[in-house]
Amino acid sequence: MMEHATRRERPVPAQRGANTRTALILLSIAVVFFGGVIAARYSGGSTAGVGVLGFAIIGFLLVAILRNVRR
Amino acid sequence: MSSIPHDHAAGHGVDHEHAHHPGGITRWITTTNHKDIGTLYLWFSFIMFLVGGVMALAIRAELFQPGLQLVEPEFFNQLNTVHGLVMIFGAIMPAAVGFANWQVPLMIGAPDMAFARMNNWSFWLLPFAAVLLLSSFIVPGGAASAGWTLYPPLSVQTGMGMDLTIFAVHIMGASSIMGSINIITTILNMRAPGMTMMKMPLFVWTWLITAYLLIAVMPVLAGAVTMLLTDRHFGTSFFNAAGGGDPVLFQHIFWFFGHPEVYIMILPSFGIVSTIIPAFARKPLFGYASMVYATGSIAILSFLVWAHHMFTVGMPAAGQVFFMYVTMLIAVPTAVKVFNWVATMWKGSMTFETPMLFAIGFIFMFTVGGFTGLVLSLVPVDIVLHDTYYVVAHFHYVLVAGSLFAFFGGIYYWLPKWSGRMYDEALGKWHFWMTFVFFNITFFPMHFLGLAGMPRRVPDYATQFTDWNEVASIGAFGFGLSQLIFLYAVLKAIRSGPPAPARPWEGSDTLEWTLPSPLPYHTFETPPRVS
Repeated sequence: MMEHATRRERPVPAQRGANTRTALILLSIAVVFFGGVIAARYSGGSTAGVGVLGFAIIGFLLVAILRNVRR
Repeated sequence: MSSIPHDHAAGHGVDHEHAHHPGGITRWITTTNHKDIGTLYLWFSFIMFLVGGVMALAIRAELFQPGLQLVEPEFFNQLNTVHGLVMIFGAIMPAAVGFANWQVPLMIGAPDMAFARMNNWSFWLLPFAAVLLLSSFIVPGGAASAGWTLYPPLSVQTGMGMDLTIFAVHIMGASSIMGSINIITTILNMRAPGMTMMKMPLFVWTWLITAYLLIAVMPVLAGAVTMLLTDRHFGTSFFNAAGGGDPVLFQHIFWFFGHPEVYIMILPSFGIVSTIIPAFARKPLFGYASMVYATGSIAILSFLVWAHHMFTVGMPAAGQVFFMYVTMLIAVPTAVKVFNWVATMWKGSMTFETPMLFAIGFIFMFTVGGFTGLVLSLVPVDIVLHDTYYVVAHFHYVLVAGSLFAFFGGIYYWLPKWSGRMYDEALGKWHFWMTFVFFNITFFPMHFLGLAGMPRRVPDYATQFTDWNEVASIGAFGFGLSQLIFLYAVLKAIRSGPPAPARPWEGSDTLEWTLPSPLPYHTFETPPRVS
């Protein structure tokens, strides 16, 4: 059965705030990965640097997916 | 289980107020409506598909006979490179985003995407990037010709066409990152009350996971091509061995992006097939939870297999064995999905309208492509088959018979809802069968060519490869002409198709089918409550 929720159940300013927070987190991850790919070249040898970044990216994905699957 | 109880009365969540939005070209340039932007993405992707297809036909025309008949070898290399870039970044990915724009807000009961204006920017970056990429053909030196993978040192040495390509890749990457931020935020924050994550339609799940993949890997690609740019013009030596760099480093970084990229291209297609099969089998999707877990597993494992594209660079055997085993492992969750689709159809009340034909065709031929991928995962086999036409056959089976078939199925499935008009079923079936037959005529012989040793990316070949090349070229022209049937079918439906009911497909059960056909400009401004 589908009922219509009132607009008050989804307050616009709170929705916008939540959306902005989510977007900023995702954008910062993208920026870190971009900078990390280039900076990794200069950190601890190319293999170690890129390896650390690679694990960070895999870790992000693990957390991102598993958090949502648990809900 | 993802079925959503709802009543079938049309009109829920419909905006009955008069829509105040501009008309004409201003509408399409300034729109922030997810339906309009979805339409823009889909038409753009189809145009790019035709552009890339013409390049493919030029390639196949040259390869019809051994010898160099039609194009210069350097231009052939440019056609090869830009065909790959256009199809991946201009056709498949924007089509997937187009489906996301249309369907994600509708399927979760949201009024629009989280960031509607950024949605507009995400789209309009793409035609600009496409112009940059295609204009590289007319600059001195011509377009990039190093293959779509842009390996140094060749990509560091070529002309300014490579710079235009790098900028185009940057812009398309920015578009993808903005789009994926939008999609993730929309799905996480704007679902209708009562729609938990495990009640979302599987198409929404596959796009959520795809968007996470995009956030993770597009910056990596941007970093790699930025380093190419600085190596070309700013004196760095990231990939120049003489300067202390390593060209193989580029391959590692590129394929760390590149393998998740292929899953970015296929996961939305999995979601479309998971929507179509239950509708036409009139049975709920078998194993909803396992489908979600399998999709997540594929995404995570996709980060651990990149070097299977590099088995011949001189990697230690231990590394080769690791990547071989993980590549074989990724077949397991993929097989789970195939089994679940088949199990959904088992004892279902099936009908075979055009969307279902494309979905079943997808299952058959994506599985063929997957099997050839398993063959290539074996290191000793790949040592022989790397850079041969066997690889070309493999990825065209998974990307064309995979992604493209699913997208065609999705268009036929949702067009009645989007446009309010039914397509001509006879035309749809003609399109499917012609596409299916000519696709196989084109690409199946490439397995034989690869096994016989024909290398990739060559404008000329030894005469023993002639027969199958002729077959493939004939098939390619048939495949290309078959797509005109699709264009005609869509235009005919939009302009003069019979009116579509709100729910033309008896077994469909997602939220968009509770709304009238065609969809109103604004939908779900009052969120539905899902129980």
